Amino acid sequence: MNILTSLISSLIFPAGLTLIVVGMLYEWVDRKLVARFQNRVGPRWFQPFADVVKLFAKEQITPGIVNPILFFGLPIVAISGALTAALYVPLIGMAPVHSFPGDLIVTIYLLSLLTMCTGLAGWNTSSRFSLIGATRTLTQLFAYEAPFLLALLGPALAAGSWQIGMINAFASDHLIALSQPVGFIVALIGLMGKLELPPFDAPEAETEIVAGALTEYSGRGLAMFKIGKSIELIVGITLVSAFYLGGLHGVLPFLAKTLAVLFLMTILQTLLTRLRIDQTVGLWWRFGAILVLAQILFTILLKGYLL
Amino acid sequence: MNIEQSLQKAEQLLASWNKEATHPETNRLDASIAADDLRPAVTALHDAHWGYLSAITGLDLGPDSGQMEALYHFCCGAAITTLRIRLPRTNDATLPTIEDIIPPATFFERELHEMLGFKIAGAKSNERLFISDDWPEDVYPLRSDFSIEQAKPVEGRHADELPDQGVVGGNTFVIPIGPQHPALKEPGHFEFTVDGEIVTAARMRLGYAHRGIEKAAESRNWIQNLYLFERICGICSHTHAMAYSMGVEKLAQVEVPARAQAIRELVAGLERVHSHLLWLGVAAHEAGFDTLFMYSWRDRETVMNLLEQLTGNRVNYSANVLGGVKCDVGLEQANAIKDGLNYLETRIRHYLEVVTTDTMFLNRTRGIGTISYDEAEEFGLLGPTARASGLVRDIRVEAPYGAYGRFPVSSVTETNGDLEARCVVRLKELLVSCFTMRTIIDNLPEGPLTVRMPRKIPAGETISRVEAPRGELFYYIKSNGGENPARVHIRTPSLCNWVSVLEKAVGRQLADVPMLIAGMDPCFSCNDRLVTTVSHTRSGHTGDGKSGERKTWTWKELREHGIEYYNR
Repeated sequence: MNILTSLISSLIFPAGLTLIVVGMLYEWVDRKLVARFQNRVGPRWFQPFADVVKLFAKEQITPGIVNPILFFGLPIVAISGALTAALYVPLIGMAPVHSFPGDLIVTIYLLSLLTMCTGLAGWNTSSRFSLIGATRTLTQLFAYEAPFLLALLGPALAAGSWQIGMINAFASDHLIALSQPVGFIVALIGLMGKLELPPFDAPEAETEIVAGALTEYSGRGLAMFKIGKSIELIVGITLVSAFYLGGLHGVLPFLAKTLAVLFLMTILQTLLTRLRIDQTVGLWWRFGAILVLAQILFTILLKGYLL
Repeated sequence: MNIEQSLQKAEQLLASWNKEATHPETNRLDASIAADDLRPAVTALHDAHWGYLSAITGLDLGPDSGQMEALYHFCCGAAITTLRIRLPRTNDATLPTIEDIIPPATFFERELHEMLGFKIAGAKSNERLFISDDWPEDVYPLRSDFSIEQAKPVEGRHADELPDQGVVGGNTFVIPIGPQHPALKEPGHFEFTVDGEIVTAARMRLGYAHRGIEKAAESRNWIQNLYLFERICGICSHTHAMAYSMGVEKLAQVEVPARAQAIRELVAGLERVHSHLLWLGVAAHEAGFDTLFMYSWRDRETVMNLLEQLTGNRVNYSANVLGGVKCDVGLEQANAIKDGLNYLETRIRHYLEVVTTDTMFLNRTRGIGTISYDEAEEFGLLGPTARASGLVRDIRVEAPYGAYGRFPVSSVTETNGDLEARCVVRLKELLVSCFTMRTIIDNLPEGPLTVRMPRKIPAGETISRVEAPRGELFYYIKSNGGENPARVHIRTPSLCNWVSVLEKAVGRQLADVPMLIAGMDPCFSCNDRLVTTVSHTRSGHTGDGKSGERKTWTWKELREHGIEYYNR
């Protein structure tokens, strides 16, 4: 019985299938809001689903000089990484499916797996657009990863735990976005970097390098990367809003808080111009990392001496 | 310096090589020189800063006379000096290169070589720039005795033989942009060698949209050609038609009514608004600022609707007829235009604020692709691209034509010469245009819209220059007194501005390249109008390697071929 519930909770609800559906709905909200801000009509609610269904039905073209194991394996690794990461976060306001002390670090690295796979996939196809895209993806990873991790560490330090469930519980009593505003902003913008949303979309800047690392992907492979992205979107938003916006307990607070974060992200996407890759790296290391380090230092001092 | 003084000075400069000088029109000096004297003559004009090389026209005088001519047109304000070189009509007719004196001449010289078969001695590159690579050797499409039978594709060659260099070695490899690429809405081919993210070399190839319009013009009558030239460009169609009709009217010595001239300027102003707003959107998109792209294109609809209301068309307005204009501005249109201009002006002011204050956008434009005044002059830049570097190249101001004498515009210049300055110049220029258009509507002269034009145009040659949204548009028109023009040569502004991209891309980041290309507002269809290309899609390439035979496919055949191809 235990195995059965465990399977259901991992594969169907709240992780697994439900997650994919919710992820795509959030992707739609993102696209629709950006479209409305840009004075466009935007897609209908089922567009992300239609895209994925269409891609699955299409032929997958395999370039001649790829390593086939990597070419077919990478999308699967990417999507499973994202799906596994989802097991440790309070999806839909419910307790995480799995939990152990230190799962925060595991989750963050599972989320990075998708980016790594994208980079590897670009390198593997050896198209010149993919190569440049892959280089940029990985360069960007090194830029935002540390500040993003530090930004999530702030609430963890405050809660005195590395377990997402515990931090979530601690956050319900404290609105950490107020006590650590810098961390919140860095986490939000770091999440946009992770998802390669504008202004951090240099790795897939279509006016320069077509579709970046995924240029050579089509059909199933591309669909899996796309699904992985949607999952990462929802998992990332869940993490940030659980840590900074007073925890996630119950469906309604979950919807309200995650959609608020998404709304903020769409506004930033609309307002900002794409950064060149050197500008992205400069931004993160010159401002992001230093600011969030100061914030953490402040948190440690505050906790050590005052509490 | 007025026109007469300019021409006198040019005559003095050229005195030692000048075999025969004439003044075909009051603003023109026509100096015949020998091919060997070309370089010293060009150097003399260049060193004295007498204007700039505007175009090189090649003329085939036909097998009967056995001669060809190359005309080097230098423009200084309204004054034009033409160096005329006559050579025997053989494949050995050789001209010395002047690309080391005037860099942009390389495009004109290659055109001269590929289209008319002049040999250019000492040219750095003999690669084809316009004609496809499977075009046979020693066949020149603009020769008068050229026939389409000669243009059989060379077997075993592709239309585009650019060697795909791939990884050059180490971290250096070639990024191809085009002919099909999301950054380009029109076909052009650029190869940027990059070392990591830094561009170390740049190359380009044009001619993917050749339609043979100059050749086609020779077999159509004067009126048909108006509609042909209007279709050279989908963005500045009116300026093409206007340049052509003004030239023909000059040849026929017909005075166009004042009201028609004012309406021409009005449509040109509206066209400038539509063109620059379109450009702003494209530039914003290249920079990754899609919001600005969407908003500027939304507002562009206003001016498109005005053009439609005025002329009945959104793209090829066909406002011109030879001898006047086709459409009148009534009270209703005048009010609609005024309302539209009010709205557009507030929007343009807003965009001006955005491009000068938005930090993120400035990150991508400020200090990037900076062209100094001297460089702008050396590269032979035109239009807003030159004006952003402080170089006044504006035919509307330098040599007012049509109604521009009565309704003048002031030229907007900036000094920084970077991408930001090019944004600012274009937007400020629109404010000036809006102001002028209001003045025109309020003071529209009364009178007829057209005058009668003769069907046959008296023999002669003329040069008609018009300021298109992208810069000076140059038309050389020659008539033999018949119903068809003997030769029309068109030099579009984009061709002159390419140097700015190729020179400025090297050393920049790859991410800046699309912005640099967009920064000069390139128009490929304008560039590529030159030759009758028998392309692979039109010829019967059946995929079985028989490239020799050609036929024209019907749409039905093409469709069946497509189905069959995928069933195999």
